[in-house]
Amino acid sequence: MLHLPITKASDRHFKIDPNDAPVKDLREELFQLEKEGELEVIRVPDNHVELMTKYGRMKKIPIDKTWHHKSCGQCGHIPGYSTSIFWLNRQFGLDYYDPTDQTSCTAWNYYASATSNPEAQAAVAVRNFAAAHEVGYFPLIHCGTSFGHYKEVRHALIHQHDLRRKVKKIMERLGKKLVLPEEVVHYSEWVLAMKDRIAERQVVDMSNITATVHPACHYHKLIEEDAIYDSEIYGAQRTAIVTGTLEALGINVADYSTWFDCCGFGFRHILVSRDFSRSFSVQRKIEVMKEEANPDVTVTHDTGCVTTLDQSQFAGRAHNRKVGIPVMADSQMAALAMGAHPYKVLQLHWHNTDNKPFLRKIGIDVEKVWGEFQAECDKIKSGEKNFMTWEDADK
Amino acid sequence: MMALDLRQNKHADVSFEEKERLFEEVKSDARWEFVLNGCYECGICVAACPSARFYDFSPRVIAQAVAREDADLVYTLMSDSIWDCSQCFSCDRCPRQNSPGQIITIMREVAVKNGLQTAKKALEGYGRIIYKIMSTGSQVSPDMLQPDAFPDWGTHVYEIAENLEVWRKALPPETLHTTETGWKIDKKTIIELYLIWHMTGVMDLIEGVDEGLFMILVDVMEERLEEAGYDDVTFD
Amino acid sequence: MANENILIIGAGPTGLEAAKGIADLGYKVILAEKRDKMGGTPMSAGYAALTPDMRDAGEAMDEMCAAVENNPDIKIMMNTEITGSTGEPGNFMVKANSNGSDVEIEVGSVIIATGFSHFDPGRETQKYGYYEHDDVITIVDAEKLLKAGTFVRPSTGEKPKRVAFIQCVGSRDRQIGNEYCSKVCCGITSKQAIEVRELLPGCKVFIFYIDMRMYGYWENEIYWPAQEKHKVNYIKGMATEIIKKGDSLIVKGEDTTMRRPMEIPMDMVILAVGMEPSEGTKKVADIFGVKKNKFGFIETIGGALNTVGTNVDGVFAAGACTGPSDLEDCISAAGAAAMKSISSVRKAGIPA
Repeated sequence: MLHLPITKASDRHFKIDPNDAPVKDLREELFQLEKEGELEVIRVPDNHVELMTKYGRMKKIPIDKTWHHKSCGQCGHIPGYSTSIFWLNRQFGLDYYDPTDQTSCTAWNYYASATSNPEAQAAVAVRNFAAAHEVGYFPLIHCGTSFGHYKEVRHALIHQHDLRRKVKKIMERLGKKLVLPEEVVHYSEWVLAMKDRIAERQVVDMSNITATVHPACHYHKLIEEDAIYDSEIYGAQRTAIVTGTLEALGINVADYSTWFDCCGFGFRHILVSRDFSRSFSVQRKIEVMKEEANPDVTVTHDTGCVTTLDQSQFAGRAHNRKVGIPVMADSQMAALAMGAHPYKVLQLHWHNTDNKPFLRKIGIDVEKVWGEFQAECDKIKSGEKNFMTWEDADK
Repeated sequence: MMALDLRQNKHADVSFEEKERLFEEVKSDARWEFVLNGCYECGICVAACPSARFYDFSPRVIAQAVAREDADLVYTLMSDSIWDCSQCFSCDRCPRQNSPGQIITIMREVAVKNGLQTAKKALEGYGRIIYKIMSTGSQVSPDMLQPDAFPDWGTHVYEIAENLEVWRKALPPETLHTTETGWKIDKKTIIELYLIWHMTGVMDLIEGVDEGLFMILVDVMEERLEEAGYDDVTFD
Repeated sequence: MANENILIIGAGPTGLEAAKGIADLGYKVILAEKRDKMGGTPMSAGYAALTPDMRDAGEAMDEMCAAVENNPDIKIMMNTEITGSTGEPGNFMVKANSNGSDVEIEVGSVIIATGFSHFDPGRETQKYGYYEHDDVITIVDAEKLLKAGTFVRPSTGEKPKRVAFIQCVGSRDRQIGNEYCSKVCCGITSKQAIEVRELLPGCKVFIFYIDMRMYGYWENEIYWPAQEKHKVNYIKGMATEIIKKGDSLIVKGEDTTMRRPMEIPMDMVILAVGMEPSEGTKKVADIFGVKKNKFGFIETIGGALNTVGTNVDGVFAAGACTGPSDLEDCISAAGAAAMKSISSVRKAGIPA
């Protein structure tokens, strides 16, 4: 046994000292501006959990009284993603709000085409925040793109007083106040904060499952000080998001050498330069995951990432590439672990890459549950029911 | 995939004064002080960049060009390179705290605002998305899942398109029983969105990029605004 | 009437050199050291060879220690931490805790030589994975391996075939806040690269850098031989991620010469961590009311013409506690501080 005069990684422990943080807590400036009457801050509700961020600052994560800022891509193309987030809230009897007074963050368009400007982007954001504040709830952001963009908007409104002045005037014209939330919170942070309560109610054993995690660029690379880190996960050298949730569910999280890579969404590319998104996600992410980790499923926490990783594999298959990993969101995995119906709640029929082998591996009778969903559809087709309700989904 | 040609005077048909004017517009953006400090060409931005692995694209070259105040080179990049960026902001790792990604966002806005031909070309085929987001407040909708829109997503899209109406009703959340938008949006909310576009001059940008699209959008928006009692709000 | 004793805080190379110099000039020294061993960081971190002359670090420090031990004019106080101070030039009353007891030391002037700490790579902006991968080590770790004569992969215990150094870890970075250059790392890395090539002739060595900084004679004594004699590969382009792939570590960077991203496998990666003020430097500065700069190092006044004076008369600072320094800087500054501390005492009035 070779005895070396230096330590191995397992004996090295990184201590985060919040006093070493290279950035200030933005909330100081936020509250100062509120004192000066420049804006109003939506406070995090009393029922919240604190999680550590990259430089040691504790971030408040609201548990209930959340206003769900929905994602276009989720609601439009993968509605099981949004449904699973609501389902989790309902399972715990939490007071949440699903608004119709909500627009898209419009950031996908902004990053894709730049047919907008900072005033418009900030005004759209603040209008949504004001709508949440008016009904007394705290915004919880469903999409990674929205989350990243709203962090940018918050930074711009705090530091550029010209912009703030313009946006305040626009809000006045709409009869609204200039409001900003105390924290910009992503739903996956809520899931992470709830992971132990979710694990308590786990009914589906996932200990035979290997998963890879893909963290969204706009979650942890853009204004990185807001992302959640944990000394027990990756030694606080990588964000703990999603990984923390999956480990709590007993899933084996496997590493791969392109963990930090973007999925290739590109905003503009996935719509009009599609060869980039396809090639990147297949060659840089899926194939590498398959070769190095061979996971049963890959889990991420953003609309664009789910879409890109899931949809690109078809073209990959057509080119005989080594693909075929089902893609799911962390909220869908959490819901599934708690016994949510794969089709009535997770709505997996909207996903492209075959997820049936994964479902079978955790003991789900795929034909039976598909049949149950079909039965609900038949009732709708025949006119017996107008819509499938939450009660129907949990039968 | 075209090789990036960085020769001096590549766009000789455009006057140097015009190139300088555009560069000044970029530099006078309120965000400029936050996005560019100095560059010591470490290459960390390129090392982290997904587009650099697919296109002949270099965030380092872009940061250097603006730092050197080279209006010729900046114009070349604004025409031939900025649309390759995937806006992932992996380049925000820059140790000098530059953000090549945000420099590019600003350059794109200037390109769109000035109606550069290359901007129009880059956004060809993107029109229906702009129409959707501007007019409905939702970027993609269920009824956009059509096989001709996403041919490389495979046969699965056929299945979705066929079952769309029923499957959208088979969704527990009340707000998702829609096909033309991602979720149910209040009429009042849409009007507020139109007023924001009006007050921030966004429609002018769209007019510069795609006049036909602009006219269709304006018709829809002015009609709804009038219904809501805002007959004084026009977009020309 | 001034007190003829001069207090030196810190028995590293700077403190040791100043102590000997002052004693040689006929004044009395009190040398206070927090640890139970002298020799500063070169000893406690187990450095192998000094840059640039490749002399054995342990042997050099032993020589410096021997020069102050058994010297009737130098009182050595080990396990001694400074806790407070009052007074003025010529008559300082310094409180300390020595071997568990509180003591008071009367001195005429003070030299702070409390040195530096190595940057903790966990605070690095880039994703280098020091806390995740066995085979990612620092230049401090590498010194220990070289000193022991066993330069092997911590993961397997086998000799590496491909080793990479990454420069500027924790330095020249606005996001971390250490905007300065740590001065010595390029030279130390090149020295270590030469040592690795000599120890393991079959091993390829790469250095990824932003700029190569070896001033004066270091250029021709280290940089050129590293490239020409020892075939070390210098690649202009920084790395951003280190991640495991199979049995190797992948280093993701840009090769700016080729103007494209590169991802190359390595057996070991060595991070050239920079210098930061030590805890002792920050504490002692506050005790004496000495101004620190925004990085926490002691600020010397007078720019280029006064490298050891502080804002407090009679209190001087020398060596790495004032900023990134190489050994030559430390030895020279020690001499300057010795000279000025003596003239400070003389100006305040020599006892009859």
